[in-house]
Amino acid sequence: MARFVLSRALKAVLTVWIAITSTFFLLRLLPGDPTTLMVEGDMTPEMQAALLKTYGLDRPLWEQYVSYLRELVQGNLGISFRQIQPVVDIIVDRLPWTLLLAGTAFVVTVAVGIPIGVAAAVNRGRWLDRALQALGIGGHALFVPSVAMLLLVFLGARLGWFPIGGAIDPDTRGAAAYLSLAHHLVLPVLSLVLVQLGPYALTLRTNMIEVLGEDYIRAAQARGLSARRRVWKHGLRNAILPALTLMGLQLGTLVGGAVLTETVFAYPGVGRLIFEAVGQQDYPVLQGAFIMLAVTVVFANALTDMFYAVLNPRIRL
Amino acid sequence: MRKTVKGRWRLAVALGVAATLGISGCSLNEDTGSSTTSTDGSVLRIGTTTDVSNFNPLQSLSKTDSWILNAMYPHLLRIDENAKKAPELAKEYRYEDGGKTAVFVLRDDFTWTDGKPVVADDVKFSAEMIMKYKLGNVAAKLTWVESIEAPDATTVKFKLSQPYAPFAEGVGFWMSIVPKHVFESAGDLSKFPNDSNWVGAGPFVLDSITKGQRYVMKRNPNYPLAPGGKAAVSQVEYRVYPDVNTMMLALRNGDIDLMGTPVPVSAVKTFQADSNIKLVKVGALGFAHLTYNMKNKQLADQQVRQALSMSVDTKSIISSVLQGDGQQMAGPISPIFSEYDNTEIQPYPFDPAGAKAKLSAAGYKDANNDGFFDELAFGVACDQSNANITRVVQLFRESAAKAGIKLENECVERNTFLSRTKNGEYDIDASQWGVFDNPMDQLRSTYLSSNPGGINYNLLESPEMDHLINDAAATTDPEAFKAKIKNIDKVVHDQAYLTPLYVENFQFAYNASKFTGFVPSPSDLLGMVTAYSLAQVTPAK
Repeated sequence: MARFVLSRALKAVLTVWIAITSTFFLLRLLPGDPTTLMVEGDMTPEMQAALLKTYGLDRPLWEQYVSYLRELVQGNLGISFRQIQPVVDIIVDRLPWTLLLAGTAFVVTVAVGIPIGVAAAVNRGRWLDRALQALGIGGHALFVPSVAMLLLVFLGARLGWFPIGGAIDPDTRGAAAYLSLAHHLVLPVLSLVLVQLGPYALTLRTNMIEVLGEDYIRAAQARGLSARRRVWKHGLRNAILPALTLMGLQLGTLVGGAVLTETVFAYPGVGRLIFEAVGQQDYPVLQGAFIMLAVTVVFANALTDMFYAVLNPRIRL
Repeated sequence: MRKTVKGRWRLAVALGVAATLGISGCSLNEDTGSSTTSTDGSVLRIGTTTDVSNFNPLQSLSKTDSWILNAMYPHLLRIDENAKKAPELAKEYRYEDGGKTAVFVLRDDFTWTDGKPVVADDVKFSAEMIMKYKLGNVAAKLTWVESIEAPDATTVKFKLSQPYAPFAEGVGFWMSIVPKHVFESAGDLSKFPNDSNWVGAGPFVLDSITKGQRYVMKRNPNYPLAPGGKAAVSQVEYRVYPDVNTMMLALRNGDIDLMGTPVPVSAVKTFQADSNIKLVKVGALGFAHLTYNMKNKQLADQQVRQALSMSVDTKSIISSVLQGDGQQMAGPISPIFSEYDNTEIQPYPFDPAGAKAKLSAAGYKDANNDGFFDELAFGVACDQSNANITRVVQLFRESAAKAGIKLENECVERNTFLSRTKNGEYDIDASQWGVFDNPMDQLRSTYLSSNPGGINYNLLESPEMDHLINDAAATTDPEAFKAKIKNIDKVVHDQAYLTPLYVENFQFAYNASKFTGFVPSPSDLLGMVTAYSLAQVTPAK
């Protein structure tokens, strides 16, 4: 097991390094530089050169890269071009909101997706199953910002059940603050869950149908085990394994979806930070945010792998 | 073993939930700053599209930053409803020494929120720091300054290397005045974030921040430009909505009282049925245009540029793209600057057949009879995130085809577009100027061969234009100055260096059942949220 964990950890480090390197160079392949966006101001070539020097962008690319890695190893993600603040501080302010949003959406998707997927598999061909198939296909077709705006218009503006944007009422304190937090979280989470739930439950349903046809399930039936026990104890344990992998992979999509969701719902997470930093070509913030997200996704996937190994010992062989 | 696995599941879920709640819980409602709730008066809540990126007013280049920073740090002059400069901190300005000295006389009743008076030394310090560290876009406007003197508490003298007619207007409007006694201890101001313990002299001063969500500004108890010596509104809150559709919902829902950003043309109707929401229309300080790259052999031909100008149906563009909410232009000076706009020149008529005849007469041929002149094929570059301009390019392409000119749509992502314009990699540039506060700065930036503002998109190198512009710039007699600007307006029109498309109107929405008294200024940079405007707002009766 120790060898398995070590191998997964090494792969995770390698993946993060690839993410760091590709982010670094891809950003610099973009046309223009951060001063390009200031072209509409009265900016002389000397001022542009001075700014590029301040940002360290006048040095050769490889030199910038080596210096960036050196700083990164020491936990320094650089200083934001626009905000003149350490990128670590900026991201640390925003990351909890994204983790809360994506984490809650993840938990809700799993918690609701499992019973729906199982119920659809057991009731194959009936209305619930057909509805799930429609939701699964629909989920692939839905565009997160459109769902988010529809939810805002109907559940927020028309019915007035939920607030229009934001993460919390800043004037609340104590228990009221937590209630406000949950109240503001409902619509953003719902928009992410609506998109994720169908495909997830559909995968579980397909696995479940396959598993329920296995010999050991029929043997369990022959031994007189109740349907509930056959499905939930024996069937689900095996059917959930591929679905678990899928969720690990979908975490990336979830985080990507959070960029758009946070923008529509004015949610103050890393996604919105990226949205703003792209518009300003703030390389250090973008690099920092992408690295944080890459680390989060890689870490979650590594955890999923290890969890998978715990549930399915064959993996460790 | 079964129990162990089940236990691990539960442990993992519990840890996950605890970690998530713990992480977010620890930062619940921890504002940066002091108290947040208003104790008297009313709170005006304004929607903005993004967080403040830089709190240093000498350095920030962001429009949305300026909404908040301008309410804290005074300027010498402001722009009024008619796009004219009006007194703010300076009660008057004049030129001495044949235009080589600009003198500002300050009011003596502005005070910083820590009780110290705003004095000439603050103005001198602000300008000197901008020059020393080349901060923001004001540094270029101070190019001519040789020295600055503050002979007494209310007089500031800028000694210039040469007369420059709009110097005082440009610097007066754009430069923020910061408290010397606070900023001088910060050292290198290019690295000063100014993100706490704010001391201002505007009508409101930042009090607390909830990053990503809101910026709370408290009333300055002494703001002489407000009726009664202080603003009627006790607190201003900026709330962040990156998506303008969400911001509109928030206004309708009563979560905010004013949208800082204009309402998109397509959404104006949604507010017209709402009796609480009032729309205010203001003009722009910039305009949309087609600019021709003079390095292109064919576009260097005046006949071709004039023919292209005759191939653009600006009236249709205004009615279809802006739904009628814009003004036509003739030359490069916007009609909003009525004193400088040459009303004797007329826009080129939309006449594709006439354009075709003009090009034939100039010797252009269609040898292969494909309906297009053989040498006249151009790319039109634009920023595809600007929906209006992208639509304009499509219409231009269709109408130019009728004149026998083949155009390719080269609208691309914004950064790519700006990079291409910066490097002169285009034939025709379709874009929109943001804010020109005075015609002289505009003409210098767009037509001088030295390209001082980096926006001479014509890449024009014309000794005649250089002479006309430099001559006007050094003219200190107001009437002669206006006449020279009008003449340049005519020359640019005759040469058809650009085809002006329209001056867009902006519409701002606010909840009139709660607040009244806004004093709007032109442009989406100023709009309803200038310091002066916010200081005049009163709760509705």
